[in-house]
Amino acid sequence: MDHLPLGPLSKSINRLVIMALLFAAWSAVLVARLCQLQIVEHDKYLRMARNQQEKREAIAAPRGSIYDVNGFVLAMNENSRMAVVNPARIDDKAFAAGMLARVLNVDASRLREDLENAAQTVHPGYLVVEPRLTPERAEELKRLKLDWLEIREGDIRWYPNKSLAAHVIGTVNREGHGQAGIEKKLDRELNGEPGVARVIQDVRGHSYEQTIEKQPQPGKNLYLTIDARLQRVAEEAVRDAVVANHGAHGSIVAMDPYTGEIRALANFPTYNLDERPRPGEKPTGIENFAVMAPFEPGSVFKIVTLSAALQTTQLTPTTMIDCGNGTIRIGKRVIHESHRGFAALTMQDVLAFSSNIGAIQIGLKVGRDGMYNYIHKFGFGQKTGIELPAEGTGRLRPVSKWQEASLYSLAMGHEIGVTSLQLAQAGAVIANGGFLVKPHIVAWRQAPGKEKEIVKPPAPVQVLDPQTVITMRQMMERVVVVPGGTGHRAKVLGYSTAGKTGTAQIFDYDHRVYTHSYNASFLGFLPVVNPRIVIVVTVSGTTGEAGYGGHASAPAFQKVGDFAMRIIGVPRDHPDEVKESLPKSAPIDNENDLAIAGLTEPPAFEEEAEGAAGDLPEVTYAGSRAPKLTGLSVKEVVQMSAEHGWAVDVLGEGLAVAQHPEPGAPLPPGEHIRVRFRRI
Amino acid sequence: MAAFRSFRDLDWAMFIISMALCALGVLQIYSATNGTRWQGAWWRQIVYIASGLLMAYVIAQFDYHSIMSRIYLIYAASIVLLITTALIGNTVFNSTRWIKVGGLTFQTSEFVKIVLVLLMARYMTDLKTPTVEWPDLLRLAGLAGLPFLLVIKQPDLGTALTYLPIVIAGVLVAGLRWKYLLSIGLFALVCLPIGYHFLKPYQKDRLASFMDPARDPKGAGFQVIQSKIAVGNGGVWGRGVTKGSQTHLGFLPVSHTDFIFSSFAEEHGFLGVVVALVLYFLLIMQVVQNAQSAPDRAGVFICMGVGALLLFHVLVNVGMVVGRMPVTGIPLPLMSSGGSNTWSVFLMLGLVNSVRLRRFISH
Repeated sequence: MDHLPLGPLSKSINRLVIMALLFAAWSAVLVARLCQLQIVEHDKYLRMARNQQEKREAIAAPRGSIYDVNGFVLAMNENSRMAVVNPARIDDKAFAAGMLARVLNVDASRLREDLENAAQTVHPGYLVVEPRLTPERAEELKRLKLDWLEIREGDIRWYPNKSLAAHVIGTVNREGHGQAGIEKKLDRELNGEPGVARVIQDVRGHSYEQTIEKQPQPGKNLYLTIDARLQRVAEEAVRDAVVANHGAHGSIVAMDPYTGEIRALANFPTYNLDERPRPGEKPTGIENFAVMAPFEPGSVFKIVTLSAALQTTQLTPTTMIDCGNGTIRIGKRVIHESHRGFAALTMQDVLAFSSNIGAIQIGLKVGRDGMYNYIHKFGFGQKTGIELPAEGTGRLRPVSKWQEASLYSLAMGHEIGVTSLQLAQAGAVIANGGFLVKPHIVAWRQAPGKEKEIVKPPAPVQVLDPQTVITMRQMMERVVVVPGGTGHRAKVLGYSTAGKTGTAQIFDYDHRVYTHSYNASFLGFLPVVNPRIVIVVTVSGTTGEAGYGGHASAPAFQKVGDFAMRIIGVPRDHPDEVKESLPKSAPIDNENDLAIAGLTEPPAFEEEAEGAAGDLPEVTYAGSRAPKLTGLSVKEVVQMSAEHGWAVDVLGEGLAVAQHPEPGAPLPPGEHIRVRFRRI
Repeated sequence: MAAFRSFRDLDWAMFIISMALCALGVLQIYSATNGTRWQGAWWRQIVYIASGLLMAYVIAQFDYHSIMSRIYLIYAASIVLLITTALIGNTVFNSTRWIKVGGLTFQTSEFVKIVLVLLMARYMTDLKTPTVEWPDLLRLAGLAGLPFLLVIKQPDLGTALTYLPIVIAGVLVAGLRWKYLLSIGLFALVCLPIGYHFLKPYQKDRLASFMDPARDPKGAGFQVIQSKIAVGNGGVWGRGVTKGSQTHLGFLPVSHTDFIFSSFAEEHGFLGVVVALVLYFLLIMQVVQNAQSAPDRAGVFICMGVGALLLFHVLVNVGMVVGRMPVTGIPLPLMSSGGSNTWSVFLMLGLVNSVRLRRFISH
């Protein structure tokens, strides 16, 4: 078979060697390549493998709740099912609206409108038709199998008190971040820090194991200095003041003069935090005027002028001030007294009768530098630093930019922009014995399971001497009690009351003229000795003499002051009684009666009493008796206490098993109901 | 003749090396398919290996001359088999490669390799001239080209390409003038661009992705990129058995068959890779050593054909896995999971032993 022996094969050995070398070379290439991949670039490929095999997911941290100073819930997270629709994918909106309306038990035509309007909004493919679905309704919607409807489960922000303290609390947006108020200003603290989970995923994106790399840090709970009870009364008072005086808006700030803790901060108009604006609708009532909007304060500012005078000049309360029979000439400008002119008044009467000419004469004695110095010392022209967004600075021009008449204007509260908050801060200086105390609204922060974090406010700065303070208090008390004083409607029965009215024409920036609509304000505190609360009431856009501070704002001060004394529990220090005090004040009019009638009115509880009987039969609410809360869940208790304005201390979780006071026991205003819950 | 064939004379070194490779393969198949729908492929592979060993033993007992004397008949039969495959074969992933006999499926093109090895040996043995001349080349091209085209038609470019080293090895061993070699080389260069047009679109994609894997990282380039990541992820020491994340999270395609070397590299690292490659080197050297000790020309050609084929398989497969060769889908001998491939390798090693057992016989 072998025609050729092995011999000739040896010739092919050369070629085979060459082939072998070629293969050896190729093998070397491959081995080099393996070295490169596995040794040299190992880290790179390890990273590439990790990148595609692992992903990091955020673990949401629960947002902190917001409470008032007594632990009353103002904002909290609630786990809920949301019905979200994509209006862009609905062809027949009328049919869809009808179907949803039937399940959700809402008005179909309104829903249809919303669906149609949603297309014009920023998120045309997203409309929350119901933020809180009951499990039954969620099931029913799921059964409909609609491709444009989604049931989302997750935390949503819940504001059980609807509009209570709306401007303080603020709201959150879809992503759960604060949009206004404390929610915005302290968003980061409330939000906590989301955790990170490392998830292993396969080539199809299925996740396998999850390791938590970083635990989420739950947001801190915020305890505000706000007292929800006083807040409620303040909101009603400002609403009534604005409505009764046909004003545009109004604000009330109530503050502890010694600590700067804001006890109530109310604005009207307001809004319901728990209701999202409908699609295409502009939210209304969201402006926090008290903090954001500076205005010319008018006469209320005279307390600064007089304080400066007491500090820097030899003037005393009884020094006679030339009031020029109601007119004064500065260059070309002639200033007239608003109602009647006086030939001369003592300094204390300048304040009591709010004489403009008198204030100007006093201001002139203080001088430009003195005035600027004290205005500045009282905190005007600077932010107070309160924990609320968009705080207004106000406007205080440096002396170098003053015109000839600037000192005149400033002496009676013009040519300066102040916020209600700044006024409260200034009022506190006189109330607390002469110190500038920075207002603040967060009492403490507390991360779950951690210690309370109490933020130390900056040390108070002394502005006025004790003697000045005492004199100012006495003069301000006269504003309220002296016959013909502008502030007599502010008198709180049973308590010595001090204050100052203010009425300033509103400047129309478009036409560059002062209009005949007013900023009517009242700044006051009580009791006069050791004042416990400073209250500033401002009503903007009033007209006529009834729109003056003494008419429009003082009654609101009286209501809030009266309630504040009750909840703080201040003993009465003034012997006056209705019968005795009435003949004392000279201009007795109808409003005077009203103010006094308001004293005996039980605040805050009138409307709720009816609602309670109808909606919640198991709760027997009878006047000021404690309701039965046992057997209810935390949520139900919080909801009810929000509706009724009770201060409830929630202890534990689960269902209420015990309460104090017992159901039916007397519940004095301001008394807390302690409810113990247990998981059953 | 039987007296000279003792059990002891079998190539036991080759046996040990191949068993070591098979063991690595089974381990890797076990690891790669653990928890997937191919779980259990490892014990089927053990069955293939055992039956393959038996086949190798049986074929070693046959005198290769007796097979070679009937090789043209066998060749004709294998062509018929390929045509039958095209007509009644099983189609998997749009490729018709398999014939079902009883409960088993056979990839016919794998067995054609052995036929071609023997055919080449027979042709070269019959050669009257000291070197291969033009007519011989044309005839060889025709003989190899027919199954080549039939397999390409399946389509299975990878297996078809494995036929080339068998012919090239035969021709080179037999002797080829330099000018012939050069002209064939030039001819091949001219043919390449023309041949490109006959490629299927997915084959063109693979080629393009080989040149630039980033071109289409989610599509044609995906396998190459993922394979490289797997190899690189292994590092020096490897991730450990069943710990290869690329393999187990499904990023590595067909990690127990064509890309088994990739998952092996991921789990056993550079160290494991070196061990496997050294084993392959020793295996091929053992085959070449048998060629050197072959009693005749036919034996030399058989051994060299088998050696060339194994070398081609290893180098192309590893080249593909590390991104130095286009994805062609040819298995790694003795390690990749699959019956036909395992059996065909063992049959070829059996043929080498058949030659070895007769090395002391002179005619």
